[in-house]
Parts: sequence; C-alpha cells; structure tokens
Amino acid sequence: MNNGTAESPFSPSAEKSETLSNNPSAFLSQITGAKVAVKLNSGVEYRGDLQCVDGYMNIALEQTEEYVDGVLKNQYGDVFIRGNNVLYISSI
Amino acid sequence: MATSQLLPLELVDKCVGSRIWVVMKTDREFSGTLLGFDDFVNMVLEDVTEYDNLGNQTHLEKILLNGNNICMLIPGGEPGGEAGSE
Repeated sequence: MNNGTAESPFSPSAEKSETLSNNPSAFLSQITGAKVAVKLNSGVEYRGDLQCVDGYMNIALEQTEEYVDGVLKNQYGDVFIRGNNVLYISSI
Repeated sequence: MATSQLLPLELVDKCVGSRIWVVMKTDREFSGTLLGFDDFVNMVLEDVTEYDNLGNQTHLEKILLNGNNICMLIPGGEPGGEAGSE
C-alpha cells in the first residue's frame, strides 16, 4: 500500500506533541478565568472575565464591558454570548 | 496513484509554528503565527494583526479564531504584497 501520507494529522500518535498543547481546547483552558476580549462578527466587542466556553463557542463572561466601534457603550455583570456570533476570543 | 498527494488539512498542519494569512468570508483578514487548530479549523494564532473592512489594523497578542467564517489560508503570506515573495 502506498498510503503512508494519508495519515490523519489529528491522530493522537502524531509526533506533534508541542502542537497539541496549543490547540484550541488547550488555549481555552489556559484563558478560562482570565480577562478576555470577545469579538463578534458584527464588530461589537465584549471584554470581561471568561467564566466558561463550550464546544459551540458559547461563552459566559462576568464584569463585561460592551464596546461598539471601540467606544464603551454598556456594562453588564453577567453575559451569555451564543457561539455562532463569535469571531474570535483574545487574551488581554 | 499519487503517493505524494497532500491532504488539505495536512497543508494546514505543516503551517503550525509559521506565519499564516487568513482571509475571512467577510471583508476581514488576519495574519499571525499559527499555534494550533482543530477539526473545524478553529485556529489559535499568536502575534496577530487584524485587518478590517476599512483598512484599520489591530494588534492582538493571542486569539482563538472561529473557523466558521474562514474562507482561505495562505501560508507565509501577509496582506499588502509580501505574499508575492513566496
């Protein structure tokens, strides 16, 4: 068989152990509890303490500030963001 | 049978650790160092520059970019002409 190159890059046996520590789920566990910026597809940005994230990128934030066009517009104690709106989650 | 055929996600895997240019479905682009990605091509990027539809640039330390709106990945490239050096 000549299918040696068809091995999945995601197989646990892949010798890329340093990449496994930087995959999305590892990054999420790193930043959970820290202050983050969440940008939505609409361009609105939410900054707050990341409480938790799930596989849909649904997000719970605390002490949240809402920025529209870079200007602080609102503040909330607790926020749930539905994952389909999320463009990125950034550590700050 | 082509023995040297490269699967698309293997190309992405080869880019781990190097600079990458990400073009979104919308008029938005990112360039940064690819640290990792998953089956949905959500990506963790470091030392990121975000380019929005107005040409504004924003620097971001480290982000998890949602793969849902990614259109295209360009290894080594940067928006604004440097990609031509590849």
